[in-house]
Amino acid sequence: MTHAVIGHSVKRTDLLDKVTGNAKYVADMPMAGLLHAKMKRSNVAHARIVRIDTSAALALPGVKAVLTHENVPRVLHAGSPHPRSASVTCDQYILDDKVRYWGEGVAAVAAISEEIAARAVEMIEVEYEPLPAAFTVEDAAAPGATLIHDREPGGNLVLPPVRIERGDVERGFAEADFILEGEYEGGRPTPAYMEPNVLTCRWDGNGNLTVWISTQTAFMVRGIMAEVLGLPLHKVRVLVDHMGGGFGAKQDLFQSEFLCALLARETHRPVRMEYTREETFTGGRTRHPAKIWLRQGFRNDGTITAREAKVVFNSGAYGSHGPGVTNVGTAAMVSLYRCENVRLEGRCVYTNSPIAGAFRGYGVVQTYYALDIQMDEAAERLGIDPAELKLKNAVREGDIAPSNHPLIGHGLEACIEKGMEVVDWKAARARTLQQQGVIRRGWGIGCEMHGSSAYPGIKEQGNAIVKMNEDGTVVLLTGAAGLGTGAHTALAQIVAEELAIPFDTVSVVHGDTDVVPWDIGAFASHTTYMVGRAAQMAATEIKTQLLARAAKQMEAEPSQLVIDNGVMSVVGRDGPTLTVREAVMPRKGLPAAQFVGTATYHPTKSYSFAAHFAEVEVDTETGFITVKQVVPVHDIGKVIHPVAAAGQIEGGIQQGIGHTLYEDYQIDMQTGRSLNANFVDYKMPLAMDMPEIRTVLLEAAPDPGGPFGAKGVGEDPIVAIGPAIANAVFDAIGVRFRHYPIKPEQVLQALAAKRAAEVAA
Amino acid sequence: MRAFEYLEPATLAEASALLQRCGGRASVLAGGTDLLVQIKESHRQPAHVINIKKIPGMDVLSFDPAEGLRIGALVTTREVETSYAVRRHYASLARAVTDFASIQVRNRATVVGNVCRASPSADSLAPLIADRAEVHLYGLHGSRSMPVEAFVTGPGKTALGVDELVSRITIPAPAPHTGKAYLKHGRRVQMELATVGVAVSITVERGHCTDVGIVLAAVGPKPLRATKAEGVLRGHSLSDALILQAAHAAMEDARPITDVRASAEYRREMVGVLTRRAIAQALEML
Amino acid sequence: MRKLIALEINGEPMEIAVEPHSTLLDALRDDAGLTGTKKGCDVGECGSCTILVNGTPMNSCLMLAPEAHGCSLTTIEGVQASPDTVHPVQEQFMRCGAAQCGFCTPGFVVAAKALLDANPQPTRDEIRFAIAGNICRCTGYTKIIEAIERAAADMAGLPMTEVTR
Repeated sequence: MTHAVIGHSVKRTDLLDKVTGNAKYVADMPMAGLLHAKMKRSNVAHARIVRIDTSAALALPGVKAVLTHENVPRVLHAGSPHPRSASVTCDQYILDDKVRYWGEGVAAVAAISEEIAARAVEMIEVEYEPLPAAFTVEDAAAPGATLIHDREPGGNLVLPPVRIERGDVERGFAEADFILEGEYEGGRPTPAYMEPNVLTCRWDGNGNLTVWISTQTAFMVRGIMAEVLGLPLHKVRVLVDHMGGGFGAKQDLFQSEFLCALLARETHRPVRMEYTREETFTGGRTRHPAKIWLRQGFRNDGTITAREAKVVFNSGAYGSHGPGVTNVGTAAMVSLYRCENVRLEGRCVYTNSPIAGAFRGYGVVQTYYALDIQMDEAAERLGIDPAELKLKNAVREGDIAPSNHPLIGHGLEACIEKGMEVVDWKAARARTLQQQGVIRRGWGIGCEMHGSSAYPGIKEQGNAIVKMNEDGTVVLLTGAAGLGTGAHTALAQIVAEELAIPFDTVSVVHGDTDVVPWDIGAFASHTTYMVGRAAQMAATEIKTQLLARAAKQMEAEPSQLVIDNGVMSVVGRDGPTLTVREAVMPRKGLPAAQFVGTATYHPTKSYSFAAHFAEVEVDTETGFITVKQVVPVHDIGKVIHPVAAAGQIEGGIQQGIGHTLYEDYQIDMQTGRSLNANFVDYKMPLAMDMPEIRTVLLEAAPDPGGPFGAKGVGEDPIVAIGPAIANAVFDAIGVRFRHYPIKPEQVLQALAAKRAAEVAA
Repeated sequence: MRAFEYLEPATLAEASALLQRCGGRASVLAGGTDLLVQIKESHRQPAHVINIKKIPGMDVLSFDPAEGLRIGALVTTREVETSYAVRRHYASLARAVTDFASIQVRNRATVVGNVCRASPSADSLAPLIADRAEVHLYGLHGSRSMPVEAFVTGPGKTALGVDELVSRITIPAPAPHTGKAYLKHGRRVQMELATVGVAVSITVERGHCTDVGIVLAAVGPKPLRATKAEGVLRGHSLSDALILQAAHAAMEDARPITDVRASAEYRREMVGVLTRRAIAQALEML
Repeated sequence: MRKLIALEINGEPMEIAVEPHSTLLDALRDDAGLTGTKKGCDVGECGSCTILVNGTPMNSCLMLAPEAHGCSLTTIEGVQASPDTVHPVQEQFMRCGAAQCGFCTPGFVVAAKALLDANPQPTRDEIRFAIAGNICRCTGYTKIIEAIERAAADMAGLPMTEVTR
């Protein structure tokens, strides 16, 4: 079925300002009297602060305030306080008398220029008493290890181990014809959004705080800042207009937000704190490095009898999203490939390393890397096609998802089948067998599924207010964040579709916590699914009111009216039509209509699916792996905006290629010092490194819980591409990698070992 | 950046005098693509920055079949990259200045600046040394010149006196039957600091190598002439086996370290792979 | 002590008082009020600060403000011919979905304009090479390259298929 507005790549409303340079990001906003803030960061990984002397800094002309742990409120709080969620770890102070990782903030300065603030930072003297540091989860979790945080459950665990069981694992293994067991490991990529973290704080004379901030979660910022600063919510206003990317990592508060507000309060001037690129690494959030031990029993027909896994996530110095990532990443392993007998355990361990937080994929990038690769290993063992094996085992309609709901449709199967057809999979794989020479090519498939919404970990809700003006144009008020994904355009499309009015008669108001309805924030791929559904429901309320008013004027019953492109007619009647505008506008004796619709949607969960088909090229002399082409096939239910959906997929693939082959934020394992907090040595794939991407969007399994059947797409691509690449490498050179990033040197070592083994055999 | 005094001399003499007066606390600004990064990352804290772009006569890029190539101190890498004469007669240099950075940086950076920065992984240094380039220095006490190979004395260190600037680089005209290549090893196609760089200039007459220059970048504190590798080839008849032997010898010439970019073992292995490939590529040009 | 520089920005002659040790990027954003050019890394690694200096793309974070004296600069604000029109590169960026968060977009648009001014019919590889120094974390580059190709075709008067409505 074709729709009038959704399903078309309408011109996004935010793009004109972006391509002309008119879009204002937080650092672009001029403000009278603005002061600039800088943080002093530690150069030790684990230490008590014995002495901190700010006198020289305070004496520097142009410095207006300096904060240390000695003069800020000591309030224990959580950095990502999604209410009633699993993600709450109360382990932070604004500034503590202890540092727990190299680069943690120990002081903040406000001055009349960035240059003076930077100089003042250097003049602050800190004396540290070093404490034993643990940089690996093994060291941190060892009995007797120094506690990084003194809190439950102890043993440097962020939360009690997550345990999930289904069926009877022992019986399952007993029934297996063979068992595969492996250890898989994920490194430390970071989101590396292009706009460094930034915020401006300003107080008015009545103690009201306004915060302009680059964040995905405006209401979370309001909530936690109010809590920590001891303010009621109506005295904190958070404004988010344009923001330059987040990918999950701008979903957290840690030090800088509170410090900026406190500096502004003390100086009675607006204060802006802008991270340097280096600080986006040292003060930002990374993906959780992880180790996954996975053991599965298989029958000779390729079906899975039992699955047992232990996952350990490295939280870094603070808990951040540790609980959420551990829960979601671990629980994901009950699914993707069908298995009735499952036993899973997930842990999250503090170490004195950079803080891991939310990052697109949220634990599932790590666990599905293992799960999908082991499936490929099973295919190798059985001597059958991995795509066929994955198709056979793919979860489908009725299977119980990680959310404990039954899945809808056959989305994953559809993706696999379609991709096999598009790339001519069998022929492509047959070609790779015949190769000779230094350069080898190979094809691989990686599968994934991801839920739209953070249910059941968080009891989410999507809210929307829709109002119709007296000329028939419509305004949608939404708290949904504008990360740049095109979410607001999609929401406007949904409203326009529901009301059957032209797309350009709908505008969107967002980004002001005083005005828009509460929103949990943009993450978990839930904006289209959850807020979109709420917007649709609110629009439906308007439609009811509109039809009632129009029916009177058209001498008919509301149920007899249809709207098409803003024009209403009576079914079966060849008579005059009435535009929406005419129906609502004031006339003599009839006041203008004032239609407002509100809706709250409590989603459960919907799952999107993807199968990525990747061709890689391996230079067996240098060990370089290059991705040559990717055909990502995604089922996302009803596609609202095809270009925006493809954009999410292609962007996710870039990040996933980065994870798998290039990116690793490294620290010195003796001192914890950052080694590559810059774009020279933290290597993201650039324009010349990217493959051709031919995106295929399927509407194979629409979810009635989503607006017009739409589901999410933001995180799926980054999950599927990694195993697709690893599996393609195996096809190319017969070497199996079970970790990321795969470095060229490791490829050469593996090839040398393989040659040696072949010679010995 | 921390404040500094900003100066714009109009002549070389004025620039030299300023450098002398500032007593080692001044930095010369040409393209600025290295200097500004060094200041921002606190590797250098100059009290004075001397912009030499107002000095006339330093922006000449010219080629003469007998005299060779002349690159003035203000000639950008982009001009060198796009010069027909450079692409024809100094292909390894053209390649090096194309691969080393983005178009934005290449429009600004100077070859002389790249040489004076003397980074161990500098791309332009290896082909310049392989082709026996010379730097010409201007100072209060007069001018002098020396091979680039001698000019670079250590990581980030040159033979420049306090009052001296480089006014130009000259490269001898290539001998007939000379092929040149520069291969850079870096994980990404562009925007990379070399983990290994190999420049080859090889002169062949009737299958016989009469002269060769092989210089390695990023595998020592300064660019290294692979003298063992050169010795394998010079004066001998070329064959695949000999080239392989030279590549192995280059591995012995290299003195790589382990850092966040790569391990020493991997770098050494890549010296072998790249030397073999660079020699082959240079020979193809003949 | 600030230094007065006289230059042309987007076709307008201007005088700005700049700190000699300020970058041109900071001078444009803070002193000239032109915040369209962005600071993504401040060390010439990401291309977000790309402007044209006498028609040539450069990183404004790697230039000192006084060096711009006497130069003719084009920033993102000067790419469109008038407030009511957009440059074909800008039009295609919108149509093709080549901008998502938009932070890198000004740098790409300026770099792309410079490419097409110098090379009106670039190949795909030439496009990639010209934008090698611009980092985007949102789009994966696919639609950026497509937008530049289409802009080239547009400017040459060649027919294209419709992407968006």
